[in-house]
Amino acid sequence: MSGLRAPNTAVIAAATRPTPWWRTTWFRWTLAAVVFLVLVVIPFIADPYSNQTMTRIMMWAVAILGLNVVMGYAGQVSLGQIFFVGVGAYATAITLKSHWGVDLGLLGAVIAFVLAAVIPGVLGFLVALAAARLRGIAIAMVTIALPIVGVPLAKRFSDLTGGAPGISPSSKWFRTPDWLSGLLYDDQYRYLLALVIAGIVFLLVAFLVRGKFGRAFAIVKANESVASAMGISPYRTKVLAFTIASAIGGIGGFLYVVVNTFTSPDTLSFPNSINLIIATIVGGAGTIIGPILGGVYFQLVTQIPTALQASQWTTVIQGIVILLVLFLLPGGLASLPRVIRRLTAKRPDRHVGTGTAPAPIPGNPGTTKE
Amino acid sequence: MKITVTKRRALVLAASVGVLALGLAGCTRGGGTPSGDDSGAAASPGITDTTITIGIDTPLTGTTAGPGNCTADGAIAYFGGVNDAGGVKFGDGKTRKVEFKLYDDKYDPNTASSNFQQAQSDGVFAMALGLGTPTNNAWKQAALDAGVPQVLIMTGDPKFDDVSESPNAIGLVPKYQDEGEAFGKLLAADGKQHKVAIIEQNDDYGKGYVEGFKAGIGDSKNIEIVSDLTYEPTDTSLDGQVTQSAATGADVLFNAVSVTPLAVGELQKAQAIGWKPSIFAPSNTSSPGGVLTPGGAIDASGNPVYPGIYSVSFSNVPAAPTFASSENGQKFLDAIKNPAYYPAGASPQTGVPDFPHCVWSWIGGQILDQAFQKMTSPTRDAFMEALRSISGYKADFMLEGTSVDTTKDGSPAISTVVVQKFNGKGYATVQNFG
Repeated sequence: MSGLRAPNTAVIAAATRPTPWWRTTWFRWTLAAVVFLVLVVIPFIADPYSNQTMTRIMMWAVAILGLNVVMGYAGQVSLGQIFFVGVGAYATAITLKSHWGVDLGLLGAVIAFVLAAVIPGVLGFLVALAAARLRGIAIAMVTIALPIVGVPLAKRFSDLTGGAPGISPSSKWFRTPDWLSGLLYDDQYRYLLALVIAGIVFLLVAFLVRGKFGRAFAIVKANESVASAMGISPYRTKVLAFTIASAIGGIGGFLYVVVNTFTSPDTLSFPNSINLIIATIVGGAGTIIGPILGGVYFQLVTQIPTALQASQWTTVIQGIVILLVLFLLPGGLASLPRVIRRLTAKRPDRHVGTGTAPAPIPGNPGTTKE
Repeated sequence: MKITVTKRRALVLAASVGVLALGLAGCTRGGGTPSGDDSGAAASPGITDTTITIGIDTPLTGTTAGPGNCTADGAIAYFGGVNDAGGVKFGDGKTRKVEFKLYDDKYDPNTASSNFQQAQSDGVFAMALGLGTPTNNAWKQAALDAGVPQVLIMTGDPKFDDVSESPNAIGLVPKYQDEGEAFGKLLAADGKQHKVAIIEQNDDYGKGYVEGFKAGIGDSKNIEIVSDLTYEPTDTSLDGQVTQSAATGADVLFNAVSVTPLAVGELQKAQAIGWKPSIFAPSNTSSPGGVLTPGGAIDASGNPVYPGIYSVSFSNVPAAPTFASSENGQKFLDAIKNPAYYPAGASPQTGVPDFPHCVWSWIGGQILDQAFQKMTSPTRDAFMEALRSISGYKADFMLEGTSVDTTKDGSPAISTVVVQKFNGKGYATVQNFG
């Protein structure tokens, strides 16, 4: 900005203004608690189909959250997230179907969950050891290979994976267990199971990105040379981000089986990976709320047109949403409140309302910090 | 800051316990306690004294949209005519109109599973006719748990025909094994010496075909399989497999290939290297317009350049010249274009359908009609029982030598196919090889 221009009054006002009430920690935690409570109560009021839809949204939100860690926070484009979701889904489905030849008893679901996180995590770690040596688009090119290799692999090892028709474990695992029968319907049980898992994963990531590693992610995202100069290894940071993202993707895969009691090679098809990236951007990369909004987008953008018998418009609607978000809300839907506040705060200063997208205000917190 | 953190934690804990208790206490839905299913003599969802609602989950958009739309359109058109004439007289004496709800799964299993939940919420009586193996598998378990029929679906997966595994399900069209077996039998019955080269898609499709083919040959001495080459459905060319097969001197090519561009490329390559075997083409890659002509298998004067191109079928195809001139064919072509028959949002066929699935779906509609006429009470159980009791029924457009039989455990509604040979214009049924 030129020094000749009068200083922007809004910037000065923002700098001198005390923290507004909606920014206080107290308010945010109360809001989180209220949202959580509402989420707990909803399944008891809503109809089964709404519960099932919300469970799907939570499943995608977790998968997108994983991608958000590596892409939104650490700034590395990964086109392979769906691969880890798929591996997590297969780890779950195979464990519950074949038990790996051992009687796992009631622990089956727990073991499946652990494997669904650990196997993709280890795979993600191994891939990242190689991929994280690269930067920018080169990483994207390495990760693109994962879903492309994954689909034929899943078809080839058909004894294990069930081949092209897919694999479905017994639905008993994710129906209301005996000790809760009479209290919960199946859809309520699945909803609450997904809510607990998604809630814990979101909480862990929220703490992670606010701490030491979150700052390391942000610096590596901003400038790898600066990160090195500060004693932060970009390589290690990227490997860490990838590993966490893969493990969370695997947990998303576990939820996929909770929701569908099924998985198939189509789960890890490449277009789904692109859709996850789009959902990350639409929701708001580098925020905690973003993946939730991304999950809502991911599920509803196909579900609502189908429900309205207008599925032929799905891709058109998808395109419109993406363009609108990119033009009006480059920070994703999560930045909507901020943009609204900015617009309402600025309006009195403007002589003529313009249709142009608002330029970022200097000193405004970047998208990496929620 | 520290203080607010503690306060907040206490608040959250107290509030969540309170509301959770409240929520659990208020856990009543429809007054009953949660349980799997409430079976009884009462009517199942989706059926009234005047209507019955059938859901179809199938790909209506995306790469499989062509056949996917057809799987819905045939039955919609069939029942459009039936409804116009008053409806179906059910076995319980009531006359009902048949209504359809369409769900587009885009060939994506997660969408299919979500659609099934929506269909349940919409209260459909049964799901029928949908196309696709992974997409039908995605909600197979859920449909079984909910007791919703998943019938006359178009898949080659034998799981759906197994009564003990899927009492609520049955397939419509012959399995890949049935098709392969019919050709194997024809070849074995020929008596002459034949060398067969197999090109096999490395998945359940290719394996099913080859398994059926080998079963059809049995231990006939006159057939020698000289090569069995596989490829991945994602491969872009089969030139290598064709060249290798040609080198064996095989006079018959058993072509378990479902990918149209690959099948076209094979025909071109074989001619380019001067290999002219008799070819067995599966039902979905044998279309004269879609595969044989682009593959150069028909010369300028309209004759096949290969000594024989065989396929299998159980129905007439709308593209055949004789189809439109038949009375039923005309009825079919009129009905399938009639927008009044389609539910809101559906797009009717605009001309002669390109895919056989439209005819198969019409046949599926007739089978449903038979089941409706036989079901003595308005329940899903009665429907399944009625549907599983049809045998020797010959629907419109079915070829001589084929019929509907739903009573055989492990078989889809139609499991008989006849082998046909390409004569330059279309396929005609043959009894002998050569």
